[in-house]
Amino acid sequence: MPQENIVLKNCGVIDPRQIATFLERDGFQALEKVRREMTPEAVTDEIKASGLRGRGGAGFPCGLKWEGTRKAPGGEKYVICNADEGEVGTFKDRYILERDPFTLIEGMAIAGYTLGAKTGFIYLRAEYHHLFDLLENAIRQIEEFGFLANFTIEIREGAGAYICGEESALMDAMEGKRGEARYRPPFPTTAGLWGKPTIINNVETLMNIPRIIRNGAGWFNQMGTERSKGTKVFSVSGDVPKPGVYELVLGSSLRELVEGLALAKNTKMIQIGGATGRIVPYEQIDTPLTFESVLGAGAVIVFDQSRDVIDIVHRTMEFLAEESCGKCTPCRQGTEVMVETLARFHRGEGLKKDLKDLADLSEVMTLTSLCGLGQAASNAVTDSLQHFKDAYESRVAGN
Amino acid sequence: MVANGKEIDPVGRQICSPMPACRINLLVLPFQVIAVPIKQSMARKEIENEITLTMNGSPVSGRAGMTILEVARENGIDIPTLCHVSRLPPSGVCRLCVVEVAGSRTLVGACHTPITEGMMVATHSPKILAARKILVELLMASHPDSCLICDKANICELRNIAADLEIGLPRFRARKHYYPLEYENPNIIRDMSKCILCRRCVVACQDLKGERLFSVAYRGFESKVVSGCDQPVDKEACQDCDECITLCPSGALRRPRRPGEERAKKALFIKG
Repeated sequence: MPQENIVLKNCGVIDPRQIATFLERDGFQALEKVRREMTPEAVTDEIKASGLRGRGGAGFPCGLKWEGTRKAPGGEKYVICNADEGEVGTFKDRYILERDPFTLIEGMAIAGYTLGAKTGFIYLRAEYHHLFDLLENAIRQIEEFGFLANFTIEIREGAGAYICGEESALMDAMEGKRGEARYRPPFPTTAGLWGKPTIINNVETLMNIPRIIRNGAGWFNQMGTERSKGTKVFSVSGDVPKPGVYELVLGSSLRELVEGLALAKNTKMIQIGGATGRIVPYEQIDTPLTFESVLGAGAVIVFDQSRDVIDIVHRTMEFLAEESCGKCTPCRQGTEVMVETLARFHRGEGLKKDLKDLADLSEVMTLTSLCGLGQAASNAVTDSLQHFKDAYESRVAGN
Repeated sequence: MVANGKEIDPVGRQICSPMPACRINLLVLPFQVIAVPIKQSMARKEIENEITLTMNGSPVSGRAGMTILEVARENGIDIPTLCHVSRLPPSGVCRLCVVEVAGSRTLVGACHTPITEGMMVATHSPKILAARKILVELLMASHPDSCLICDKANICELRNIAADLEIGLPRFRARKHYYPLEYENPNIIRDMSKCILCRRCVVACQDLKGERLFSVAYRGFESKVVSGCDQPVDKEACQDCDECITLCPSGALRRPRRPGEERAKKALFIKG
């Protein structure tokens, strides 16, 4: 399936500092259409019909989220754009923000209109501080042109915690608390930021909104597979000659992305979705990229034959243990135990019983953790145990 | 364990024999059969708020806003908890109260999940028991092996639950925390090496006393309940209310024992 520029339509074409260049490319026509012709209900129905799913990793149907928030009781509602792109190996949101901040703000304004919200927030990753001025400039220019009407957008900066990319921890952080995952229910649709109904979406999800409104749900619906519609922006890095940001129609094969576009050779395995992502061995490179199989936030890290699986998994787990917020038992203690066990395998001092213990522990972490971090922390271990069991067995002490 | 006074879950009985609370339930069983019709008639009065659900295969009912844990306890089903205190808002951090709810991808925390109409809950399935066992093993892995000389050994909830789940030596290896004993305050001794981060003291100080002496600092495995900027507990601020000490499920918080004062309770009966 082909490469398609839908989300990245304006990237590299417009000047992110000049709203005029954006207006030449049909800027704000979706917002105008929504304000003139559509009721909030019609907007959520359109998004629902498009089949758009959240691009931040979890893949929750966007239309359902918006409808739930719109129908939730309460006068004050908020829109949050999650620009805390912390997942290891993702840089697509930075690419988008650097090149086309206007479409994102248009998407947020449409969300604001749908909810009747007065305030929207962009939660910007601490490491993206250099984008602060660019975004603020974009917001100011849009306000000067009067496109935002009663809607104000504020930028909040993170302080560098991976966990704060998780929606509930992000809201805690915005409220001025320690960024920690909350238990659910209640979901953000009914009790989000300051306990008010909140739409929280990834940058890329919001970028899709103006396109869907302008071209119709039917147009969007044609692309992709049955349960994964539209396109996805991938950040490809690792052992490839051409790393970078690529946008592909969902359902394209991993081979097309990794070997076709990024020109990888001699590949051993691919980690999709960053530290909490899945590990795909080279034998399964024809896997389609969909929400049903593997996707995550679109981080594609390629490892060639020179890499050691245990080393990669161990370092991934060290990262997750470092970034766990420490609130719930399975994630706080589980990641620590996994680091200890994997370090022993790394040194060649593993035990036979560790293999079963790791598998058991992985399952419990997935089943009982509070948030996505703990639930997905063991993915790399589970997948490597499944596909690269030899690597573990050769490191058992006494072998 | 007992649902509507009719049925005893064999698994439930098997796992919680040494717990005093469960023993009481077993003793109370004949009276509960009589008590059930009265409770049902009371529920009929509030018919609008009544929610019926299935727990371990038996129909039970609760009122809107109740959590799975509250309904379970009302029906005599024992779900172990380490962080939950009934008079405090749930924090849902220990994850020990996880139960299976039909249709849910993961196990859900009983202490914070509200009941819904027609919910199908299992509280003691093999999957849940295995998960609980591993959770306690994880806690025990980084807990100091000082039970024999611990002041709270005989009233320790962690030890009680571990015995209940038949956990011997933990199968996981983890670092242990070595924090210096904090005894500067005459009202409280804190041994944070024994802390299992249930956060009862944090919530209790805030919600019951309106003070905010404790908060959580650092992150991940290094998380620690601290006072101020990781300083000894302020002598002026902590006023001997004992609220956090009585709630602490492990030996992390204790009162300084005065000369001649005896231990809180007799030694715990450990099964097997």
